[in-house]
Parts: sequence; structure tokens; C-alpha cells
Amino acid sequence: MYNYRKVTDDLYWVGANDRRLALFENIHPLYHGVSYNAYVLLDKKTVLIDTADWAVGRQFIENVIGVLDGRSLDVLVINHVEPDHAATLEEILLRWPKVKIITTQKAVTILKQFAFPLDIDKIDIVNEGDTRSFGKHTFAFVKAEMVHWPEAMVSFDVTNGALFSADAFGTFKSLDGKLFSDEFDFRGEWIDEARRYLTNIVGKYGPPVQHLLKKAAGLDIKYICPLHGPVWRDPMDIAYIMDKYQHWSTYEPEEKGVMIVFGSMYGHTENAAEILASKLADRGVTNTRIYDVSSTNVSYLISDVFKYSHLVLACVTYNLGIFPPMKDFIHDMQALNVQNRTVAVMENGSWAIRSGSLIREELAKMKRMKVLEDGVTFASSIQNQNVPDLDALADAIANDLKK
Amino acid sequence: MNFQTSAAHEEFRAKVRAFAEAEVKPVAFMLDQENRFPDEIVQKMGELGIMGLPYEKEYGGAGSDVLSYAIAVEELSRIDGGVGVILSAHTSLGTYPIAAYGTEEQKRKYLPDLCSGKKYGAFGLTEPNAGSDAGGTETIAVDMGDHYLLNGEKIFITNGGKADVYVVFTVTTPGIGTKGISALIVEKGWEGFTFEPHYDKMGIRSSQTCQLNFNDVKVPKENLLGKEGMGFKIAMSTLDGGRIGIASQALGIAQGAYEEAVAYAKERMQFGRPIATQQGVAFKIADMATKLDCARMLIYRAAEMKQAHVPYGKEAAMAKLYASDIALEVVNDALQIHGGSGFMKGMAVERHYRDAKITTIYEGTNEIQRVVISGAILGKMKKGGGGAKAAAPAAAAAAVGETGPRKKIILKGGDPKEMVDKLVDALKKDGFDFTVGIPIDTPIVAAERVISAGQGIGERENMKLIEDAARSLGAAIGSSRPVAETLQYVPLNRYVGMSGQKFKGNLYVACGISGAVQHLKGIKDASIIVAINTNPNAKIFKNCDYGIVGDLKVILPLLTKALDTGDKKPAPPMVKMKRSVPAPAPVPRKLGVCLGCGFEYDPNVGDATAEIAPGTPFKSLPQGWVCPHCGEPLSNFIEIEV
Repeated sequence: MYNYRKVTDDLYWVGANDRRLALFENIHPLYHGVSYNAYVLLDKKTVLIDTADWAVGRQFIENVIGVLDGRSLDVLVINHVEPDHAATLEEILLRWPKVKIITTQKAVTILKQFAFPLDIDKIDIVNEGDTRSFGKHTFAFVKAEMVHWPEAMVSFDVTNGALFSADAFGTFKSLDGKLFSDEFDFRGEWIDEARRYLTNIVGKYGPPVQHLLKKAAGLDIKYICPLHGPVWRDPMDIAYIMDKYQHWSTYEPEEKGVMIVFGSMYGHTENAAEILASKLADRGVTNTRIYDVSSTNVSYLISDVFKYSHLVLACVTYNLGIFPPMKDFIHDMQALNVQNRTVAVMENGSWAIRSGSLIREELAKMKRMKVLEDGVTFASSIQNQNVPDLDALADAIANDLKK
Repeated sequence: MNFQTSAAHEEFRAKVRAFAEAEVKPVAFMLDQENRFPDEIVQKMGELGIMGLPYEKEYGGAGSDVLSYAIAVEELSRIDGGVGVILSAHTSLGTYPIAAYGTEEQKRKYLPDLCSGKKYGAFGLTEPNAGSDAGGTETIAVDMGDHYLLNGEKIFITNGGKADVYVVFTVTTPGIGTKGISALIVEKGWEGFTFEPHYDKMGIRSSQTCQLNFNDVKVPKENLLGKEGMGFKIAMSTLDGGRIGIASQALGIAQGAYEEAVAYAKERMQFGRPIATQQGVAFKIADMATKLDCARMLIYRAAEMKQAHVPYGKEAAMAKLYASDIALEVVNDALQIHGGSGFMKGMAVERHYRDAKITTIYEGTNEIQRVVISGAILGKMKKGGGGAKAAAPAAAAAAVGETGPRKKIILKGGDPKEMVDKLVDALKKDGFDFTVGIPIDTPIVAAERVISAGQGIGERENMKLIEDAARSLGAAIGSSRPVAETLQYVPLNRYVGMSGQKFKGNLYVACGISGAVQHLKGIKDASIIVAINTNPNAKIFKNCDYGIVGDLKVILPLLTKALDTGDKKPAPPMVKMKRSVPAPAPVPRKLGVCLGCGFEYDPNVGDATAEIAPGTPFKSLPQGWVCPHCGEPLSNFIEIEV
């Protein structure tokens, strides 16, 4: 049975929720599913905007058929070809062979690589700023290259102000019957998952996101219709999420706070992290989080790194190097272009203590990272002689937070 | 082909040998013991006519040849390697550049006095950061119109302080490496040209070696040797010739040791017969003689080639390399033959043994000789990696001194009391509590604070100033090496440096310490370094957090008074202070972001796949350049600043 929702006049959400997927992109864990959004515009022509993952293919097709209510499908706009959105393309082509595809040149190239049977005569390639009218509604197309794929574009309905934003403004979590951000406690319940989605998927591509945001700044956006998560229509909500994107894509911290990540084999480095956090609290610094790098999925760590201004890496030395899970975390930060953070380093080891200096070397490779001169080096476990160093580090972080 | 020197050369050798035996030999041990330059002997060398052997008579030279010069150095060194190098440095380092590159006026002005021995010459190339690699030269001469203003320092200068005429190598165009180096003739006595006390060396102790300081020395334009930028070439060609001198010195030292060993082996009776009859000793003597002959042939060949004006750089390097390498072997064997006696002071072989070592080091280490020789054979081969890549870290390293990043807040030319008060305020702000202190004899390694005296302290009675200041600072007393070792103002276990004690505490006050690398290595872990010195160009000022340019006799009493809090309370256990040097702000740079794949073009890295050198700005990428990863054209890049 179909299950679609109306977005606004002529426009319907025809997506579906997936709660069986354990790992998004087979890498990022989902704890409450994800939605694959697609939209149908009923105008003089019928227009489908993007498709959905194969996992929800049946529900998605039922929804499209339900909305069309007997009409044929005239146009398919493909904003983004990643398989979680384009996988059911072939099913659309089989059911509505006459459908005209509007997309970018690069999208065609990649769709062919994915072996979709495209008929070149039925493809309308659009470029930056091109428009197409479907009757009452006219779409303008804007390239969204490398947000986070090179072929991506966004489509803007100049008639009603709906922006089909591809993966931009997407969020993890299934929609559970609701659709609009104002139907959720977005700022409480959803923002962490929105951040985890954006920073892990698109975090590396701050400059292209900025490039797109600048182009979008001139548009009078009434609705943001992303490919995952809720639709945005409340102006306050749109301003809120735009502001978040501004922070994430310029690598500005959202909050002054300290994220302490420890890599500990037997709890002694963890103890150092705990003592530091207590000492920070003594100094009035309470916006702090402690994470165990071994048991926390790195996507959550990346997400919080984008949120907080300060990061403490407390790490044991392992095989004369950085503790492997910590190394992975640092590597992920480098891969995702994390920058503009203040970092402190605590190192442990029982014979040759090297993790701290190696971590500092890695941090030096990153952009605009301020690494505090203060740090703690301790052998095996924190002893009285290390306490002054811990105090000095807590002072340094507390003072730096005041800046 | 007859491998024999001419009768005239042998006659000349006999003359120099007689002089050395008569004049040098009787005092050689004393000169060595007392670290004393033999003024009278050098004066007599002038009278003997050997101070300008290879130079034209027209300019006061002997009009003799390079071989005669080599023989003279060899024969003097056979008795005393120190006296040998005085002649070598004077002739081939101090005089040669003027004879070879000087203008007519310069030659007329300087050569007659140099060749007659009325004046001595020296050569200033080596610096703390430039030795084998002349490209690291930091001495700088700024063009002031009619003169250059020379600033910097030169270390390990043979004849330093004794010589009257110095050929000094200095940067005139910064930033272009060896192409920006020029040679200037600088005279002793010019304002701002000063000398450090001469070094206490392992060997060749009758020669004087010291550091030269140039502090706003005005060098007239007419004293530029050759053209601006020719300095490196002049230095290299001078060293080519100088190597013949050093090779001859090594040969002479080894020859002297060998002769001593042969004589001793014939005299020394063991098992009822001279040890020379033992094959183990006899074979040593055979090997020594063979090596000496080999070295001599190489040296004389190089000398004859130089005389004949054919390229001889490789041959001179071979001669220097071989003669000095075998000199060490020969003096070692010679001392071994002497047994325990050879280990005793007063035995010539003991002195030869120490004298020989320097010959594998100076005028191009033997490693550099091998670079020269292999370079001549193999030619210039392309090195891997981009030149720009290698240059960047070197430049960065030059900006940070031996002691790591320091604040380098230098007070100069102000009222002494105000400068001292500023220093005290800054130290208090850094967290120093001067109401507490440690005993002045606290071991250096355990001390939280140390005040050290360098040679700039002067007379022994001035140590009182250090002691008073130490009590006021609550610090222990340390020193530079010469102050402990040579002047003996403090016990040997109190000198700070690479070979001495390492200071790891919070506050180090260096008084009258110039900042030799070996000293700086001993204080690199100090949290705060304070320098007080009269010489504003002293290396210590590039390696300190706070500095006062001023006289210790003025500054120290003021410092003592400013910090005097009566008896200090015992200091609590030391808490190591962190260095508070702000990290150098990253220089913003423009990157190009590929909209085809997200690749970031970084000018610091360049693009090796397209032979785009590091340092190429994004804006300067050539038309037709494409993304190395996805092939996107330049037009689909956006520029960002990071």
C-alpha cells in the first residue's frame, strides 16, 4: 500500500524509511534507520525528483504510482546518482519507458558506469542556471559539485520556492510518519544525527559546500527538500540549519567545549582523562565529553569534533606508535579536513613513550590546528609527580577557552 | 721520468730544516704546554724569506714556487705542526686570495707586507652554521654606498688575533645562497672588529685560533675582493691551494713522528735487542715509510700542477685526503712503537699524535675531500627531489636557533637600570619567585636556576659579581667551558655544554657567554634563557628569551640589587616551567579545490606528476594543467584561503 505525504500544493513526498540497514554506506552505524526521500510534482507534466535505494524500492514505486493516480510519468530529475538514490532508476525506466531524464553530463557518465540502460535520446542534459518549465512550475538547476560527489546538482522550483538539495541538508534517522522539521524536536532529538551525517559524509568538502551556499544565498527558499531526513519549511528552522551548515563547512566550532578522547589499554590513560576532566570542572569548564576511542564508533567522534572547540587526545603508546584506534580517529579527522581546533595531547607508555610526539606530528599536517604547548607525559599511570602537569594543562585549556 | 726533487729544492729544504731544528725544536714543547703563539719565530721566518714563497717578486714575494712552499710547511711541521700551519694559513689562505683576485691597488697595498712577514694573513670562512657548507654563511655586509657595514662572526680562524689582514667571506645578497657571498679584505684594528680569546685546542697549540666578531665594521668599498657574488668561487679556489699546505703539514707531522719512532726503535732494548729488530716493529716502520712516500708524491704532484697552472683541485684534494688520513695512522704507529714513553708529555711523538688529528678536519674535512674528488670524477649528477623542497626546511631551521624557539626580546642601548628592571618584571611575570632560592653549589643538572659566566667575565675578581647575582637570583653558578677549563674560575664539573653539564631547569642566565654551539646544546631544555653580553651580534642573543646588551660590570650589580630580597627561603621542589613561545602563526595560503573530485592543490606541495615545483602558487599554474586525480581542467577549481 502506498504511503506518501503532501509537501505543498502539487508536491508530494514519495520516499520510504529503512530501519534494517546497519551501516550507512556500509561504514556509518545507524541506530534508528534512515529515510530515502524522493518527490513527485504534479503539474502539466508529472515530474519525479530522484528515486530511492533498492532496499525500499517496492514501497517507493507504490508511492509514485499512488501519487500519479493513473497519470504517466513524464520527467525524472536526477540530482544525485549515488545508489541510495538512483538504484531504482531502472525500475522507473521499465515502468515508464517514455520518461525524459533531466540531469548533468557527469551524472550520465557515472550512471553508465553503474550500468543503467540509458537511452541518450531521452536524456536532457542541463548546465548551471538552465531552467525547464513543466507547466505552472519552472525549475532552475544549480551545480553542486563535490557536495560530496562531482555530478551532483540541486534543483530549485522558482514557482513555489522549493529547493531539492540532494544530500545537502540530509539527516540520519527514519521519519516515522512525520515529514517536516517542525513536526520533530529537531534541535533536541535530531541535530546530533544531522551533524553526524553531514560531517562524516560531506565534512571534507567545506569549500564546495560554501561555494554552493553562496550560490543559494540569492534564492528565496521556502522549502528545503533533501534526500534524507525531514523537509524544512519553517523559516526559523531553515535559518537554524543554514547556520549549522555555515559552521560545519567553514570548520568553525559550534560551541566552546572540550571533547576528551582517550585510547587506554588497561584504564590508566582513561584515569588521566578522567582526572583532567575533573580538574576542568574544578575550573568551571563543564561543557566536556569523554569518549573511549576503542569502543566509540569514529563517526560519533568526528561529529563531536565538528561541534566542540577543544579536543584532548590522551593516548597510550602501542608498538612504538599511536594506539591503532586513536590512529584511525586521527586519520579520519585528516581525511575529513578537520581544522581550526585547539588540541591538547596527553601521552602514556611504559617504556618508550612516543604517542604524544607522533600525535603532534600528525596534527601538524592538518590545517589551522592550534596544539597547546602544555601536555602530560606519564609512564604507565598518573603519579603525584604528574599532577602539576595535569593542573598546568587544565589551566591552559581553561584559559584558552576564555579567549 | 725522475721522481726526484731538484737539487735546489733539496738545498731549500735543508735551509728550512736547519731553521726548524735550531729555532723551533728547543721551544716546541713549551709552546705546546703554554698554548703560546711563537711571535719571535714567525718574525724570523719573515727574515728567512719564507713568508711569501710562491708570490711574485714584484709584490715582495720570493718568486719561488708552490713546491718550495710545500717543502717549507712540511719541514716546519716535522718539528711543530702548529708552526707549520701558521705558515700555511698565512701563505695560502690569507695571502693567496689577494694575490690571485686582488686589484693592482690591493696587491700593492697588502702583498709586500704579507710576503715579507711584516704582517700576517688569515682567512675567515667558517661560522657556527657554515663550514663544509658555505651556503649557510650568516655574516652579512650591507652596502652603505662608499662602504659595507659588516656584521657577524667567524669561528676556528687560524692566526686569528695575530694576523693583520683577513680575507672575510660574507653575504652581500641574502637569499640566493652561495651566489650572494663576497670576499672582503678586513684589517685588524678597525672599529668593531674584535677577537675572542684563543681556543684551548687538542693540538697545534702553538698556532693561535680564535673567533672573529664583526660589529658594524665599516669596510671600504675598495676592499671588496673580485666582484660581489664571487666570494664562493674565491673561497673554493683558495681552499684548493690551501689543501696543498695542509697536506704538507700532515706529511711533516707524520714524518717527524716517524723519524722519532725509527730512532726510538733502534735504541729501545727489549729481550736483549733493539725492538727495531722485531718484525712487528720493523714492518710498522716499512709501512709508515711507504705511506709517507706515497703522500709526498701526491703532494708534490699537486704542487707542480698548481705551479704549471693546470687544473689541480682533484689532485690537491687527493693529496690532502691521503696525507692526513695516513698521518693519523703513522703517528699512531709511531706512538705505539714508543710504548708507554710515547704517552708521556714532553715526548715529541705525543705532541705529533695530537697535532695530526686536525689535518683530517680543517680546510675541508676528509669527507668533503671525497666529495670534491668524486665530484671531479662523476660530474654533477641530478639529485632526487625538488630543490625548493629541500630549501624550505633549511630556511625554517635557520630561523630557529640551536636552543629552539625563543622569545628573543633584546634590550639594547637603553638606560641600564631601566633595562634590568624590564628584565626583572618580565621574569616575575613568567612566574619566577625570587624570594626563594637554591644554594649556589647545587649540581647543574638538579638546579632550577643557574647563572653562568663566560669569558666575557674577564678577570677572576669579577666572579664576585656572578656570585652576588647568583645569591640574588637564588641560582646556582655555572660557566662556559673555557671559564672552568682554561681560566679555572669554577670547578670543571660546573661548566655547561654538550661535553659538560646539561641544564634542564627553568632559568638560565648567560653572562659574557658568546653562545658557541657546544654551549647552546647544553641549555636547549632551559625554560627561559637570559643573555647579558657586550656584543650585540653574539650568537647567544639569537638563542635567548631575554637579552641585555651591556657590560657585565654595570648590569650584574643592578640585577643583584633589583632581586635582593635578603636571605632566600629554600626553594620548593622544582616545577618545570613550560616554554611560552607562541607557535609561529601559519602563513595563510591559497589552495585550489577541484570541483571534480575535491582534490586540493597546495602550493607548498606542488604537483610532482606535472612537474609543478613546490612553491608554485595556484594562480600561477600553467594553462592546460589538469587535476592530477580526475583530470578536471583548471577552470573547474575554486580558490580558497587557509
